[in-house]
Amino acid sequence: MAAPLELSCWGGGWGLPSIHSESLVVMAYAKFSGAPLKVNVIDNTWRGSRGDVPILTTEDNIVSQPAKILNFLRKQKYNADYELSAKQGADTLAYIALLEEKLLPAVLHTFWVESENYFSVTKPWFASRIPFPLSLILPGRMSKGALTRILLTRGQPPLYHLREVEAQIYRDAKECLNLLSNRLGTSQFFFGDTPSTLDAYVFGFLAPLYKVRFPKVQLQEHLKQLSNLCRFCDDILNSYFRLTLGDG
Amino acid sequence: MSLVAEALVSQIAATEPWPENATLYQQLKGEQILLSDNAASLAVQLSDVDVSKTESDIPGVVFRPFCKCVICLSKWFVGQMQNICLHLGHSLSDGLDEVQKAEMKAYMELVNNMLLTAELYLQWCDEATVGEITHARYGSPYPWPLNHILAYQKQWEVKRKMKAIGWGNKTLDQVLEDVDQCCQALSQRLGTQPYFFNKQPTELDALVFGHLYTILTTQLTNDELSEKVKNYSNLLAFCRRIEQHFFEDRGKGSSSIRLS
Repeated sequence: MAAPLELSCWGGGWGLPSIHSESLVVMAYAKFSGAPLKVNVIDNTWRGSRGDVPILTTEDNIVSQPAKILNFLRKQKYNADYELSAKQGADTLAYIALLEEKLLPAVLHTFWVESENYFSVTKPWFASRIPFPLSLILPGRMSKGALTRILLTRGQPPLYHLREVEAQIYRDAKECLNLLSNRLGTSQFFFGDTPSTLDAYVFGFLAPLYKVRFPKVQLQEHLKQLSNLCRFCDDILNSYFRLTLGDG
Repeated sequence: MSLVAEALVSQIAATEPWPENATLYQQLKGEQILLSDNAASLAVQLSDVDVSKTESDIPGVVFRPFCKCVICLSKWFVGQMQNICLHLGHSLSDGLDEVQKAEMKAYMELVNNMLLTAELYLQWCDEATVGEITHARYGSPYPWPLNHILAYQKQWEVKRKMKAIGWGNKTLDQVLEDVDQCCQALSQRLGTQPYFFNKQPTELDALVFGHLYTILTTQLTNDELSEKVKNYSNLLAFCRRIEQHFFEDRGKGSSSIRLS
């Protein structure tokens, strides 16, 4: 009998079970693979460290980071990729790398670096779920972490200044969205009729971008023009997360 | 450079014929060049770029600690493989359809994400390699104390980057695991085909060749990295095939792959 699996993660809003990409990836994968997860939403009474969220706790293990959590679930026989061929498994890795390199910087920028978005939406949302006095410090630290990550991974010479990097990362993100849309086509999921790891990752990255209401929305506008990706997100929300939408 | 400037540059570059005296600058093969830089340089050479010579010293530039692989056309320097490909005006992957292009870009990111990062990790975060090989090589063209200062600075930069992307706490074994996973994915994608997409090589083939060839032929303190690659026979055959077709035919004959 499987030990009870508990997932601690950031909560939801705007119709989503979580607005944090990595938490959403794990939640989606759990739904797809049938893993019985008990979801603990972090609020300001939660005592653990928030740096590593999402965190999976079982009787004897604590696992953090989405890739490791998914691996752990697979070892527990909750495998959403069971029906994939070897080539499709390879494609999964490649597309996940594409998401992390091309889309993630722009998502981080939209949430954490773009000042209008950060001060009017992101910071208040996270601060309300963190106890005082950490609520004064932690969001700022997360924002700085996002900025550092963007500059270190995309700020190759001669693009050292944020403004120049910004143009490049949004261009890359739009290209990535177009590529995903081309790849998805008219299918329901990326590989056939059942959702797999890649669908969890794409959903995790796209859904917050799609649903959260931001003042500065250039990437959101672009995403909304790609109707098959929007349909993809809505389908997953309706089929797998309908019962939990009330927690939003 | 700003958006406008970059668009202008690629406009101009696309219409000008490829100049006669394009020069590929890379670090000295025997003493200076590092794993990841060699990979980038090879990938460029493979991409059908006509280079009249390869040099190791950019004249008139004294400090170039950031220098990786740079091409000097008649008027400007172009750095990094992606920008160089942009300047070719045509692309090796013109014959692919949209879905295949998406796949190609995805696999290129996988190689950059895993192989390049693993190479950087091994060069700069593994103490044994750093002490014996990297520091000496990186600092070799500079006088004391610049050689030490620049090497430490670069090491600090790389460690910062590793921490930002979540590789800061990885052990060497975990990194080798990731390399293995990446090679497995590449091997499965390649299958029994001669190149990744049908019969013609594309940018992806160039990139993969650059990295795998460098991993297989560079002497490091331990051979575990190259052992991981050697487990996949179709990848080895792929490297050998490209080396024979493109490098030996053009008379650039570098040392053949030691496959023992």
